[in-house]
Amino acid sequence: MSILLTEEQQLIGQSARDFAKEYLEPMVLEMDRTGQYPAAVVKQLAAQDFLGLFLAGEYGGAEAGYVSLVEVVENLSRVSAAVASIMVNHALAAYAIQRWGSPEQKKTCLPKLAAGEVLGAFAVFEHGPTPGVGAGALMATKLPEGWALKGTKAFVRNAGVAGAYVVLACTDPAAGAKSLAAFIVNAKASGLTVGAPYETMGLKGCPMADLVFDNVMVTDTAILGGSTDGSAIMTETLALASVAEAAQTVGIGQAAVEHAAAYAKTRIQFGRPIASLQAIQTLLAEVAADCHLARLGLRYAAQLMDDGEPFLVEAAMVKQFLARFGAKMLIDTVQVEGGFGYSETMPLPRLFRDIAGTTLLEAPADYPEKTIAAALLA
Amino acid sequence: MPKLLVCYKWVLNEQDIKIRPEDLSLDTSRAKGKISDFDRNAIEEASLIVEQQGGTVDALSYGTPAVKQSVKDALSRGPNRLLWIGDPQAEDADALVIANVLAAAIRKAGPYDLILCGEGSSDMFYQQTPARLAALLGLPCVTFVAKMTLEGDVLKATRKLGDCTEQVSVTGPAVVSVLSEINKPRIPSLKQVLGAAKKPSEEIAIGSLGLAADELQPRAVRKSAKGFLMNRKNIIFKESDAAANVAKLVASLAAEGLA
Repeated sequence: MSILLTEEQQLIGQSARDFAKEYLEPMVLEMDRTGQYPAAVVKQLAAQDFLGLFLAGEYGGAEAGYVSLVEVVENLSRVSAAVASIMVNHALAAYAIQRWGSPEQKKTCLPKLAAGEVLGAFAVFEHGPTPGVGAGALMATKLPEGWALKGTKAFVRNAGVAGAYVVLACTDPAAGAKSLAAFIVNAKASGLTVGAPYETMGLKGCPMADLVFDNVMVTDTAILGGSTDGSAIMTETLALASVAEAAQTVGIGQAAVEHAAAYAKTRIQFGRPIASLQAIQTLLAEVAADCHLARLGLRYAAQLMDDGEPFLVEAAMVKQFLARFGAKMLIDTVQVEGGFGYSETMPLPRLFRDIAGTTLLEAPADYPEKTIAAALLA
Repeated sequence: MPKLLVCYKWVLNEQDIKIRPEDLSLDTSRAKGKISDFDRNAIEEASLIVEQQGGTVDALSYGTPAVKQSVKDALSRGPNRLLWIGDPQAEDADALVIANVLAAAIRKAGPYDLILCGEGSSDMFYQQTPARLAALLGLPCVTFVAKMTLEGDVLKATRKLGDCTEQVSVTGPAVVSVLSEINKPRIPSLKQVLGAAKKPSEEIAIGSLGLAADELQPRAVRKSAKGFLMNRKNIIFKESDAAANVAKLVASLAAEGLA
């Protein structure tokens, strides 16, 4: 394993940087103000092959791997974490289908996801403490003609704009979370409605809403992996979410520290740039180091995925690290920019709100320390 | 089907170059390479012509051995094949040497129906390579091209010349240098990046070009390169009367020759 990027991975990162400058910079402020879903940009993501990034070539994917995925996500997030978030949630659905789908499911779904004809969404969370538990949990009832889905999935990103949802539903009320199965559900399925969009703190432009299932009928072939044991699908897909969102967090943090460093060199106090003050230098150096170390950790986890190695523990580690240091990156960089940095005329407030959304959403069902400790104490 | 060649230069990314405050020397230790900006336009234009009309595009670059790093980047932007000459002496090459080497390589790999270059390189911007190349190859040269079409072997181009434009028509083969406004260089897609590794690339040894020592001897020698730092004047006008402050500011600017 090499932690260094290959030439192709570096070029892919450069393509993502150029893409962000060309397509995201001109619209990011307006999108943050209005919360409007960036449909035109998502089409451009597809044209750039970002929506089929790691999918197999036989389905129209680019087969660029997971290190490339985190490179792209980080570089998009430097300009717009909301757009990166749309891409990441799409990637989670695509990952689950490629990883556990039957040949027929892959053949039906993946080419459309790779081409961006259909946007994907991965719906796991509910209003209860864990999927399959509590009032409103999404229940799947076996019927002769298939399955009836009833209940609600909460805080689903890409809700309302996705054409295909991968949803986790409880198949046995008595077993609760231990009887989860993953279903592929067409967004146009009868009985499926999208709730009112959440007015979110950050990541504006990445739609988030509840999905309400009122006896949505799906066939037996809609079960991912053909099994009612969906816990592995949930765990592993959320581990990928941890890695991808760590890349999102690092992208936001890197953008913040670069902006704060540039500001510190031009902001004059006491007759000299504040960049010459040791207190400012310390804040900037700590954020830069946190970004760098997190980047190494998440690239390592992504490389494990590319190598087909177990990666759940490493994914939990980057999740845990950035849960502690992600928001701190923004606290410190806003501190550098002081009153101006706090102003909405500067980019840091938007980055602050985006990093909050990134580190809060798609948390593993179990807290990451549990995964790390389990491996350590096994 | 046209057979095109596009020349490009692998330069240091100017955004990565730092200026050492103590002596204004350039710190390039962390600078990465990139394809020179105008040359990206040349690559894009050649690739667009071939994508629309058929034919092939070769890309050619002369530089230090670091030019090898550019191979996949260049190929991901459209060319079918890449030829490169890595030579440690290229660090000191002037426009004459660069043109001599490129012309010799073109004679070896050609002929081509059209040779495209950027108007100037991002680092030196001598703007001499296309004209020198055309002279060495005995071909017509069309510079400052803002728009062009290729119909058979006839090139129709719009040259942008200060405050006017000129329409020209040239029967190829010819050398063309393009301005940045001619197109918007593509951002290579993932498949284009990954597909670059499957395209052929070939190193041409400098010794195989048959150039005499004199042809590789630069005439223009760079003695030094220094950065430019603008220092603040740190003058603050603190009169309570705004009009007086403005008058002093205007007088100060006038004293600097700015008003």
